[in-house]
Order: sequence, then C-alpha cells, then structure tokens
Amino acid sequence: MGKPHGHGRPYGRPQGRFRFAAALAVAALLLAACSSGKSSSPSGGNQAQNSKPIRIGASISRSGDFSDPAQLVLRGYKLWADQVNAKGGLLGRKVEIVTVDDASSPNQAVTNYQNLITRDKVDLTFGPFSSLLTLPSAQVAKRYGYAFLEPEGGGPKVFAAKLPNLFFVQPAPAVAQGQVFADYVLSLPAAQRPKTAAYPSLDDPFASPVAEAVRTRFEQAGIRTVYNHIYPAETTDLTPIVQKVAAAKPDVVVAGTQSEDAYSQVKAMVQLGFSPKMLFMSNGANAPTEFPDKVGKANVNGVFSSSTWSPDAKTNGNAEFIAAYQKAYGGSPNGIDGNTADAYAVGQVLQQAVAKIGAIDNQKIIATLHSGTWSTIQGDLQWDADGAPNGKDVLLQWVDGTLVPVFPADRASKQPVAVKPPWGG
Amino acid sequence: MRTVVQAVILGLSAGAVYALMASGLTLAFGVMRVVNVAQGALVILGAYGSYALFSHLHADPFLSILVVTPLLFVVGVAVQMVFLRRLRSDERELSLLVTFAVAIGIEGVLTLTFKTNYRSINPSYANRTLHLLGYQVPLVRVLAFVLSAGVLALLWLALERTRFGRALRATVQNPTSARLLGVEVERVAAVGFGLGAATGAAAGAVYGIVWPFNPGSHYDLISRLLSIVVLGGLGSLGGAVVAALLMGVAEAVVAATLSPVWSSFAFFAVLIGVLLVRPQGLFGTVTRGEL
Repeated sequence: MGKPHGHGRPYGRPQGRFRFAAALAVAALLLAACSSGKSSSPSGGNQAQNSKPIRIGASISRSGDFSDPAQLVLRGYKLWADQVNAKGGLLGRKVEIVTVDDASSPNQAVTNYQNLITRDKVDLTFGPFSSLLTLPSAQVAKRYGYAFLEPEGGGPKVFAAKLPNLFFVQPAPAVAQGQVFADYVLSLPAAQRPKTAAYPSLDDPFASPVAEAVRTRFEQAGIRTVYNHIYPAETTDLTPIVQKVAAAKPDVVVAGTQSEDAYSQVKAMVQLGFSPKMLFMSNGANAPTEFPDKVGKANVNGVFSSSTWSPDAKTNGNAEFIAAYQKAYGGSPNGIDGNTADAYAVGQVLQQAVAKIGAIDNQKIIATLHSGTWSTIQGDLQWDADGAPNGKDVLLQWVDGTLVPVFPADRASKQPVAVKPPWGG
Repeated sequence: MRTVVQAVILGLSAGAVYALMASGLTLAFGVMRVVNVAQGALVILGAYGSYALFSHLHADPFLSILVVTPLLFVVGVAVQMVFLRRLRSDERELSLLVTFAVAIGIEGVLTLTFKTNYRSINPSYANRTLHLLGYQVPLVRVLAFVLSAGVLALLWLALERTRFGRALRATVQNPTSARLLGVEVERVAAVGFGLGAATGAAAGAVYGIVWPFNPGSHYDLISRLLSIVVLGGLGSLGGAVVAALLMGVAEAVVAATLSPVWSSFAFFAVLIGVLLVRPQGLFGTVTRGEL
C-alpha cells in the first residue's frame, strides 16, 4: 500500500546520469536566488485576499519513471481539496491545487517550485513523488520560508538535510518500516519465535536498510542469521539466490524488497518448493492488487508486509476518504493505492494546522507542526526537528487472499497467522 | 556439489534465453556491421506483445510467439529500410545512434501504452516445477530452454542449408563480392535485420514469463547482450550461444555459492580474461581488416 511506490526510486535506474546536470542546475538556481536578493515573505497580505482561493503548488510527474505513482499522489491532493471545498473551504476560502509537470527530473522539480513560489505566488506547497525530487524541492521551499508537507520523500538523505520546514507525512521513515514486524515477532512467547533468519535484500536505499534494522533487533534477541546478502539492482534472476536461502533452511525470511524483486523472490520460492515458516517483505507484498496478480492468488497467504495505511483501519477520516475515493474513481477499498492515502493525509495535516493558527502563514504552520500530535487516516503523526515521523507502520498480512492489518492490536482487524501455510503453486 | 548442479541447471536455462536474444544481435552485426542497440528494446516489445495477447485474449504465451514473431520481423525490416539503409557505408558509426533512437522510441511508445509498472506473464503453469533426479527445475524454464534451442536450431538450418542463408553468409563474408555474384545485398540485409528482431521477439515472450519487465528493462538487457556478443565474437552465432550459456551458469553458480554481489562480476571477469587473450572474442575471426 503506502510504500511499494512510496519512497524513492522504485523504477528504473537511468536518473543517475542526470545527477551531475541536476547539481549544476541547482547551483545555477542558487546563484540566481542570491543575486535577486530580497525574496518576499509569503505570509503577508492575506487579509486583502480573503475572497481569493488558497493556491497550493505541487510538482507532479506526468512523464518519466515516476509518472504512475505521481498521478496517484495527485488523486489524494485533489480528493482532499474537493472535500474541503464542499464544506466551505479553508478559513472560508476555496482551495486550489496548482500542479506542474517535472518529467520525473529533480532538476525540473526545483525549477517548478521556484516558479510556483516566485512567479505564480502560490500560498502553500505540497511535495512531489519520491525522495529524489523531494529533497531539492524542499530546499527551494526553505529558502522562501515555505512549509513543505510531503507524502513520499522518506529516505534517510531527506532527513539528513535537517530541513526545519519539511514534514514527511507518513507514520515512520522509510528505513523503519520493518520495525513493526520485529515488534510482532519479539512479542511472541520464546518457544514460538523463529530460531534462524535469512535476509536477502535489494541493493537500494529503501530496501536493504529495512532488513538491516530488523536483523539488528533479531540478533540481539538471539535469532541466528543463516543468510545475509544484498543483491545488485540489475539482478533479474533471483532463483539462484533463493536457492541458497533455501539451502540455509531459515525459519523466517526478512526480505528487503522494492517491487519486481519481491515478485521474483516469491516465484522462485514457489518453484523451488521452499516455504519458510514466516516471510516478511518490506515492499511489493503490500501492493493489494499487484502482488496477487504477479505471484498468483494461491501464493499470497501468510506473507507479511507493512504499510502506512490500511482501508480497514479505524483512523480519523478514513471512512470518509474511502467513500470519496470510490465515488470519484470506483473500485474496492483494497484497490486504493497507499500513495493516494499518503497525499490525502498531507491535506488533513495542513487543514488541522491552519484551523489551529487561524491564518495561512507558512512560518506559523512550521512552528505549529513541530509540536503536538496530528490525527490522519494513517493514525496519529508527530515529527522530530528534521521532519522525520517517530511513529510506526502497521503490520499487514495476507489472510485468506486479502491484505489485512494484523499488528499492533489497536490497529488490527484480524489476528496474525503465526505459521505461513504452504504455497498454493 | 548438489548446490552447484542445481545452480548449473538454473544457469543453463537462463543462459538459453539470453542466447536467443543475443543471436539476433550478432546476426545484425554479421550482416551489416550494425551494432543494433535497439535489440533489447525489441525483446521488451516482444514481451509486451505477448503480454497483451495473454491478458486480453488469454493466449498462451508460448503460442503467442507465432503472432508476435512475424510482427516483429516486419518491424525489423521496416527499421532497416527506413532508418539504416539511408546511411552511407562510411557513416556506419551513425547506426549506433540511429538504433539507440529506435530503442528510445520503442521505450516511449511502451511507456505511453502500458505505463511504467512492472508486468509479468503468468500462465497457469508459471510456478510449476519438474523434479529431475531430485533436482527442481521450474517448468517454464524447461520450456524456455527447449524453445530457445529449437529457434536457434531453425536459425542455424536457415543459415547453413538454404539459398537465402548462403546469400546471407556471403554478404557477411564480403558484401562486394556477394553483390558481384548477384546477391541482392540490400534485400538480404533487410531480411537479416528482420530475422534478428524476430528472434528477439521470440526471446521476449519467454523473458516475460520468467522475469518481470517494464519499458525501461531494455537498458540492463542491452548491456548484457552486448557483453555476450563481444565475448562470443561479433557476428558469430555459435559464439553468442556459448557466451550466453557461460554467462548464465557463471552468474547462477556464483550467486548460489558465494554471494549475489559477485555474480555479475564473475561474468565480466571471464569477459576481460578472454578479451586479453583473444581480442576478437571466443569464436570471432579477424576479417576484412576490421579489427
């Protein structure tokens, strides 16, 4: 759900060679910004504009690697705006989402936010899709004193930049998404816990660190590591890797995966007849429609994953969100992509902050969001000084062919199945 | 030992699919001295063709090859006639750019049509496994191996036993002499390029069953295919097959015994080692003062 496309660059690798060009462009923009001298504060003059709509700018990829998930993000922004407008708007003013295409290029995203803020003079900014675009975009927003609420930039580099204006609107940073699985396993009575574990992981900043974090906690708890290898992103054939995992006979497999490599791992396990007692996959297995489509409906039961959001969760506004989504796009609640939910939560947070302050003032929004708890469809959120959320994701499991929240108990709709049933083939 | 044998089986089955893809590439080079960097994109195009037939008409992916292969043959001939034939013999380097443009074009069209999500072709038997002497061999891989071997055998027969094959080999050896002897070099080149695309399409259908793919998958693919063809010797069909199997086995054995991190490296170590001793590749020949 939230994370299969949630944090970064799940698709393709060609961006790397643009990095140098992007760096140059950023440098050029920095110079331009310095020479232009005085940048106007966005907070003034609101009284005179009361009848005008509140314009929120966002860079949304319409082409390139991120075009699919970025459109799902845009759905979330729009659903929220439509709902707010139907109820009379924010502080009595209509909300308008202004989007510009960035072609999945960080370079273009930077230009877009620069234009949105200085030329179009939007009142507020929301984030683009992926950490790759979020980090440089948030830096632009910071320069002009704009708060940057963003749904999909949760990579370590984003928080390492220590941006005071950035708020990652998900329950936990990307690399912490396995913690809830570790919590669950270590909550079991010692006799039921796995004794040995394998960690086959993708060489990706959003995949292998997830498995690493779980391994650290499992090893402290005495669960022996029998396989721990990272495979390169260009590996297409995962069967020999799974063959080695199977030979090590682990009780639990904790796979740091993104999407296609998760499907390949499951297919290889089925083909090699290897069914571990427990299987956690950080991403891929949390895609409610893609996963059964790729690995076969008979091969999903018992697989664990985690997510930011679940249609079954009894969180603030969730029922309303699902109803609005189905009205606009149809389908079943399970078909709603987590990216859309994440973006919707961005709107919820902003709405609550504005209601608390009583004004559209970026500086006050930034100050306000750094304290207190904010209640969204993802549950209650709060942030540290760098914009990293300090909550936990919800543990999901495939039970009887559907993906349901199973842990922690207060967010679960079903009991977890302790031992994975054999593959259906 | 058991692990190694199992890995060799998996490696051979993966290598066979790569052999099929690489045979098209080496053919195009042999006939026209064109390094067709669009071969990877043609393979992915074939995979999407098969995927579309499977998801809309529920056509068996192996049977869909009968439809996709002729289509891609036409695409290949068209690419040769429209783009490559115009190049003069002294601007062959441009063919690299032209075929790269074709690859980008195909990727763009596929992205617009199918979006960037990963796809895979999942027939009912996708996860079935055969047990041979206690070893597990995924059924689709056995089928992929058989199909690849069959298509390669057909290709070899066509080159060795038919009039067209003789004309094609003559063109490879010496286009000027072939022309003097009445071979229609232009036509042979177009058909040869079409055949290359068609083998790519057949391989694509198999690729789509065994591995997930998206429009951008061709970048990784073409880099592997080029390494295979260079190792085997540019223009050598047998060389491409041997090199592809070597790559498949090397990668699988290293991934299953040492670590996946070293598996690609293992192949490139072999590649560099061979090229130091034989710069023309395993089966390449030094011809026409080209090398």
